[in-house]
Amino acid sequence: MFAFSLAITNPMTGLHKEFEKEAIPHTDILYNYALRMTGNADDAHDLLQETFLKAYRFWDKYEKGTNVRAWLFRIMKNTYINVYRKAVKEPDTVDYNDIQNFYNIIREDSADANDLQEKLFGHLLDDDVTKALESLPEEFRTVVILCDIEGLTYEEIAEFVECPVGTVRSRLHRGRKLLYAKLYEYAKNRGFVGKD
Amino acid sequence: MDCKEFQESISEAVDNRLESDSKQHFSSHAKACPACRNEYEREQITKSVLSKRVQHQTVPQEVRSALLNALHDIRPASRSWFAGMFGEAFLNPAVALVAFLMFASGAVSLLQKNNAIPVSSDKNIIAQSLQYYSAAMTGALKPTMVSHDAGDVREYLSKKTSFDVSVASLDDCDWCGGIFSDIDGVRLVHVVYKIGGEGILYVYQVDMDEALRGTKVALPENAKSVLAKTGWYFEQTPDRCNVVLWKHKNTLCAAVSKMDKEKMVALLSNKDPQ
Repeated sequence: MFAFSLAITNPMTGLHKEFEKEAIPHTDILYNYALRMTGNADDAHDLLQETFLKAYRFWDKYEKGTNVRAWLFRIMKNTYINVYRKAVKEPDTVDYNDIQNFYNIIREDSADANDLQEKLFGHLLDDDVTKALESLPEEFRTVVILCDIEGLTYEEIAEFVECPVGTVRSRLHRGRKLLYAKLYEYAKNRGFVGKD
Repeated sequence: MDCKEFQESISEAVDNRLESDSKQHFSSHAKACPACRNEYEREQITKSVLSKRVQHQTVPQEVRSALLNALHDIRPASRSWFAGMFGEAFLNPAVALVAFLMFASGAVSLLQKNNAIPVSSDKNIIAQSLQYYSAAMTGALKPTMVSHDAGDVREYLSKKTSFDVSVASLDDCDWCGGIFSDIDGVRLVHVVYKIGGEGILYVYQVDMDEALRGTKVALPENAKSVLAKTGWYFEQTPDRCNVVLWKHKNTLCAAVSKMDKEKMVALLSNKDPQ
């Protein structure tokens, strides 16, 4: 177990310093993405660590001057897909008529948007919202997380997931629509605020 | 704008990205078509619920530290700070021998697994700090928090101690790390600095009252009196480990290193924030 032959050099090599300087500042957004994708802190921790170790190993492949945050993000997303992805079913068919009808009834006697929102989803727990988000298929969940929780622009999201801005736009629309249906389902189970 | 175009613009309208022209077309369609308007409102509500209920989290300190540790462990030059310590320790047979004997005789016993802190059987603070120094060299004492910024380590350590923790921003310091341990309920703080070209500087810290009047840890009488008179106490072991004791606010600090004594004192006296 004793390593006699190890060279004694300054452990902080230039490479290492550079990597830490460039990559570590992005820990925050990556951790949050990991948290929302895996759904629990332990897996998020593992995914974060694996991502950075991988990134460090492939640091020579990173093209200087390009978006390091997007590069790290892609490593994380691929790692997640290879290791952590659980089979998320496409959401069951949703009865949009049911949702539409209820929405119209509530809307009739709601003074403003906040009131409407409170009546619809006021009884939801934070856990319900997290669970609804986690139920979205991966490609929709990713854009919704990056836009609505992390506050990235469409252009940056497009760079992260390597697709055109138009695709970001349509995935956001579809993702939020699915999310609304899921929230509606949970709200119905909890009993709406507005229901008499 | 027809319903199909409207649908395609909803997300951008929700995110406030429409240009003024499209914005106008969008709102006139919304006024004319209740079904489309409702869908727009629902998407707005969804975004709002999401951003209110799902909060952006700050990375927990232990996750951040573990990440930095993991990165240090794969350092190419000396692989891990663990392995690095071994390599360095073995350059000096005396240190290796002392570390090995302590290890073998059980003076430093390992508590196993996660951040096992060696527990000293000797109450003498100077003996203890030498033991912990050896443990730091062999990897048995491994910091739970490592950073290039002394301030980070100080903040981390200060949260769990009642006395003032001294973590100095030393020149040529590659990184510093910290860890706590308890000895019969007495809190100890261990700070390890990696100084470029000089190796390891270890600093043991304990509440001054415990050091002077406590029963769990103790200072030799001569050290007490010299410390009281001059504010410093110095001792060199037969294998040329230097031990420097000083008082930092309400804290007793004991630094151990193979560095030159003068250099150690200069480093510590200048940079210890008051």
